[in-house]
Amino acid sequence: MEVLDKLAILADSAKYDVSCSSSGSSRPGEKNALGSASLPGICHSFSDDGRCISLLKILYTNKCIYDCGYCINRSSNDKLKRVEFTPDELVDLMIQFYRRNYIEGLFLSSGVVRNPNYTMEQLIEVVKRLRTVERFNGYIHLKGIPGADAKLIEEAGKYVDRISINIELPTTRSLRLLAPEKSRIDMINPMMQIKEGIEEYRSDKGRFKNAPKFVPAGQTTQLIVGATPEADYNILRIAESFYKKMDLKRVYYSSYIPVGNVPSCQPYGEVSLMREHRIYQADWLLRFYGFRAGEILTEEDPFLEMMIDPKCQWALRNMQYFPIEINRADLMTLLRIPGIGNVTARRIVASRKFGPLDFDALKRMGVVLKRAKYFITCKGKMMTAADQNPFLIRQLLADVSPQISLFEIYPNQFGVSS
Amino acid sequence: MKDYLYDGSFEGALTGIYQMFNDRVKAGEARLVSAAFYQRDCFSIVTEVETDPSKAEKVTKWLLEEFGEIGFRRAAYAYLSDDEQYGTYLFCFLKKMNRLGEKGLDFFADQDINKIYKIYNKVCRESHLLLGLIRFVELQSGILYATFEPTANILTLMTGHFKERLSNQIWVIHDTKRKMAAFYDGKEVYIRPLDGLEDLKLSSSEKAYQDMWKTYFKRIAIEHRNNPRQQMHMMPKKYWKFLVEKPQEKFK
Repeated sequence: MEVLDKLAILADSAKYDVSCSSSGSSRPGEKNALGSASLPGICHSFSDDGRCISLLKILYTNKCIYDCGYCINRSSNDKLKRVEFTPDELVDLMIQFYRRNYIEGLFLSSGVVRNPNYTMEQLIEVVKRLRTVERFNGYIHLKGIPGADAKLIEEAGKYVDRISINIELPTTRSLRLLAPEKSRIDMINPMMQIKEGIEEYRSDKGRFKNAPKFVPAGQTTQLIVGATPEADYNILRIAESFYKKMDLKRVYYSSYIPVGNVPSCQPYGEVSLMREHRIYQADWLLRFYGFRAGEILTEEDPFLEMMIDPKCQWALRNMQYFPIEINRADLMTLLRIPGIGNVTARRIVASRKFGPLDFDALKRMGVVLKRAKYFITCKGKMMTAADQNPFLIRQLLADVSPQISLFEIYPNQFGVSS
Repeated sequence: MKDYLYDGSFEGALTGIYQMFNDRVKAGEARLVSAAFYQRDCFSIVTEVETDPSKAEKVTKWLLEEFGEIGFRRAAYAYLSDDEQYGTYLFCFLKKMNRLGEKGLDFFADQDINKIYKIYNKVCRESHLLLGLIRFVELQSGILYATFEPTANILTLMTGHFKERLSNQIWVIHDTKRKMAAFYDGKEVYIRPLDGLEDLKLSSSEKAYQDMWKTYFKRIAIEHRNNPRQQMHMMPKKYWKFLVEKPQEKFK
């Protein structure tokens, strides 16, 4: 079979993995070697679904011994043609795509063939050859295979920029239901191991000049939303604890698409790109805006609203904090205002040293007054004689034609550093 | 209005700045315009600026010393935007900066400082986007060759990145609109004028890799999530003709 056909099939099988980020690693170019990695990441194209293409996102093989209900590559899917790359084919493809500037690096994942260790060894073979034989110095993101030996994870960590192990589903119960052959502990243990490895590398880096790299761009994970009944609140709590305890760079969420007819795996509740988008917005509030999951949602009120964004939802529930005076509030308070993002909030703090700001200045600096005007004062005045009734404001702020902005979902790709 | 005309070069603009500060003209009553764009009227007093490298050098030094590398970069990158009003914006920006010093770079609420920042930022964004969108083809000789037509004149901003990344390759990046090219011979980058090239001989494997990339590009999209608007927003149509892959083309 030709490489072209394998590529088509294995790209098809890989596309449900969300991550394509190439950020977080800085590899300066080396003499007589191919490649470098840019800290903010670089997008190389945008596919027809509007998602960024940064890495060659591909499976080593779509042969798989597991039968996970949500996955297109499950062993019971007999409509799928099963193929496997050889390390040589994949390495050549990588280098040739990279030279032509099609891609920023490799994102290699795989179905599980024979057993987790064997699969992991094949993946390591590819990345090892890229790094040592081809002296490839670009970005590599490797999927960790749950259940593979700790030793293999450690070896992989030496060659790659990022490792991700997908937890797949929010709870152990859901996992048991849809992916009975996978176990939660096989995912959590290697994540802990990687976390400790990264910490060690960070402390060595400070002390020794040539400390060997270990997963310099950190680890991420992914979970499917809408294949099981968990509420947004539970999902955010899980994400929050991953960020706090595992020091993850990102949690990716993917809105469930039923691939094939698996009776136990039908979409659950609100399954939409909008829900996914709102969860990403809430995730951003956790990581960059100083929010806690318990502030965004509660057990009694566990779902995000589709019509308005999570920050507005929070603000409307907490009108007692508003309006906020732009010329006095500190950074963390400014970040709580709808219509003001990280960049703008920092600009406000820097700019007002030169004198008090008015609404024109705010507009110039990037404040979205359409949203912010209900929540702020400049020099003690509101912009319009706006009504402070949260019910009315809610109507005014509702998204009539909701659109998903990839810029918000993947800010790393657009130079907004994390 | 007092209108100062410069020759369109960066050195010319800096010489103009030198002269305007020397003449002690005020912001709001003078313009600095590239002679190529200038339309004469009967109310303005016109001064033609003769580009003087030593004056330009003095202004460069002043920028670097007073406003640091960031301040200089804002002024210089904004020049690459080819904005017709760049000269006047620069003058107003420097008038303000002269009063505020380096910390003035943070004064985003100010119109004049914000204006230069916005133009600078546009140039940065385009050059970052094109670092990803440039496509090389492999010629028979093994040389990698890319063409593009950026809105801003960013050819020089691309070279550092590719010198690092493709340090063991030989490559050419060609701005076919401005007829300039960057050549890298494995050691150094040279910027030289270059007309359009015809009849390029591609390497024997080039087409195969292009086909593989096109196939990959189509297959990696999830049909359920088709979103051409988003695609076009992130990757404006003006850049498509230089891509190997063809967005939104029906999959064969």
